Amino acid sequence: MEPLASVRGNSPMECISLSTTAPIWQDILAQAMTGEILAAMNYASLSEICDDPAEVADALEHAQGERGHAAAFAAEGGKIGVGATNNVDAKHWKRLREAFLRCIAERDFIACLIVQEIMLESFAVASYSRVGKVAPGSLGKTFARIAAEEEDHVDHAMSILRAERARDAQRFDDKVYRLHLDVMTTLARMLARECKDGHCEVCHHTCVKPALFDVSLSAAELRGASLQQYLKTLDMLGIPGEVTLAWVTQLPV
Amino acid sequence: MGNSVASVANQARSTDIDFALIGHQESWRAAADVLAVLRGPQHTPIPDDEIKDILPWIPPRAVCHVDVGSIVGANARGLYIDSFIPPDRLEAAYVHENIARVRAAAAYAIKAGAKIVSLGGFSSILIEGNFDQLPQRHDTVFTTGNTLTVAFIVQGIKQMCALEGRSLSKSTLLIVGATGDVGSGCTRCLAPLVRRVLVSARNVERLRTVASDLQAEGVQVEIATDLQRFSAEADVVICAASLASPSLLLGRIAPDAIVCDAGYPKNLAPSAQMPGAKIFFGGLGQITGSMKFAPDFDGILNRHPFPDVVHACLLEGMALALERRFEPFSQGRGFITQERVKEIERIAARHGINLAPLYNADGPLEDARHCHLFSP
Repeated sequence: MEPLASVRGNSPMECISLSTTAPIWQDILAQAMTGEILAAMNYASLSEICDDPAEVADALEHAQGERGHAAAFAAEGGKIGVGATNNVDAKHWKRLREAFLRCIAERDFIACLIVQEIMLESFAVASYSRVGKVAPGSLGKTFARIAAEEEDHVDHAMSILRAERARDAQRFDDKVYRLHLDVMTTLARMLARECKDGHCEVCHHTCVKPALFDVSLSAAELRGASLQQYLKTLDMLGIPGEVTLAWVTQLPV
Repeated sequence: MGNSVASVANQARSTDIDFALIGHQESWRAAADVLAVLRGPQHTPIPDDEIKDILPWIPPRAVCHVDVGSIVGANARGLYIDSFIPPDRLEAAYVHENIARVRAAAAYAIKAGAKIVSLGGFSSILIEGNFDQLPQRHDTVFTTGNTLTVAFIVQGIKQMCALEGRSLSKSTLLIVGATGDVGSGCTRCLAPLVRRVLVSARNVERLRTVASDLQAEGVQVEIATDLQRFSAEADVVICAASLASPSLLLGRIAPDAIVCDAGYPKNLAPSAQMPGAKIFFGGLGQITGSMKFAPDFDGILNRHPFPDVVHACLLEGMALALERRFEPFSQGRGFITQERVKEIERIAARHGINLAPLYNADGPLEDARHCHLFSP
């Protein structure tokens, strides 16, 4: 289903010299690190509302894993001579964290999984996979490896969420829709081709999006791949495709 | 919005699906209109350049529910599934990507529990020779819908001849795209009714084989290798080529020739200069019972100047669902016979699915009240 337009220069051998593109990778790494740190914070928060000790351990293990991903991205920045810094207080990321904390406040374990595993991880899996295809050397391998690991998280959550939906599909779908309005609206603004709400507070200088073409990426491609992954994940949950299609088409562009 | 989404979700869960229609949009304008309905009037429309960025990433999926009612009281419930093939990627260069999309749409139809699936437009063209590439499932059958398409093309030709006061038996018929399933089916049905038959296709070798097969069946045809020359000799032309966009130029067409553009997407280039030619869009039928979309895509998915008009390739699945005949009526290439055409015509007519009033890009060609002269 991948549009052919996106198949270009996928071999790392074709990548442009890192010295000229390092500022672009710096911003990409900063966004990825911020996402990973936020995920670690989310899992740590989740561990606080789990009753089952096994679930607590699982959440803490995930939090540790996400911190490891952030460290791996930071190390990749070091290899290319850029310091990638995260900013979980940047406006979009902060909104995403607040949305997750509302689920925590309601002690809604299922809502937490929907936000983290279905929405945020769809974005991570899709965008890391795209970056992994074009980024050179170990940078590309790290993105590809972490994309695969995040996908495993989704698979793990899927069985819990499917079982929950089987109990009351209507109630489950209503919950996903409510969270979609909250979380995916913010993600859609982040993924828009242009940042219309001003600087994202993560990129180091100006917005990185227009420069993505220089590393064989584009903001449109990252958005398209992320929304496609999100729709496919919702399909796997069993939510009717015509319903999720309407949800996605109503997101801001 | 919340309520409407919830109600559609409820319907999706509570409805047994009889049929599914797999289609795609013929133009970016049509695609934009579909997305505008889904987006709802409360949101500003997605800009055209953003649509071109977003649509190629949408996985095949249902767009809406379609309920049809027959004039004899039968009802069938279905889904319209869009393969989301981008309108500018119908060319051969994208064939593998597009087959993958049709396969995914077919898998969606199977998962939805559709008993019969009609393949519309390019979906049918991509799959008619590759049915083995569709997912296998014993309780879901697939039909290209080509037999009913042939039926309505033939009916349209007869209707147009009657409107123009022409004698079909004195006509020279040219079929463009004669190697395809629809083209060869039209040849079989119309050859006994006309004076002379010319057949044309891009692949001359395949055309010779098809012509030889038709001649073995007793259908007399002449191969028209030079379309520019032969189009001047024909006074009835059927354009049934598998073209990704309206790009066909017929050249020096005979004055007052009747031309049926049966493509989905259309065959004839808008720039084609054919002064005096009587052009109509063929292969379209009209539901005289009822058809309802949920959400309401009326006039969006069926963009025709008359109500409840649908491409016959899609109508075939609906007619068979109303008849409760869940069978792969049209499959493969080159198997459409006069007998099969008569059979599907009878089934469709029994449920009030008839030839649509004739029209072309300039609008209706006849008063809708006077149509159906040749309904079986």
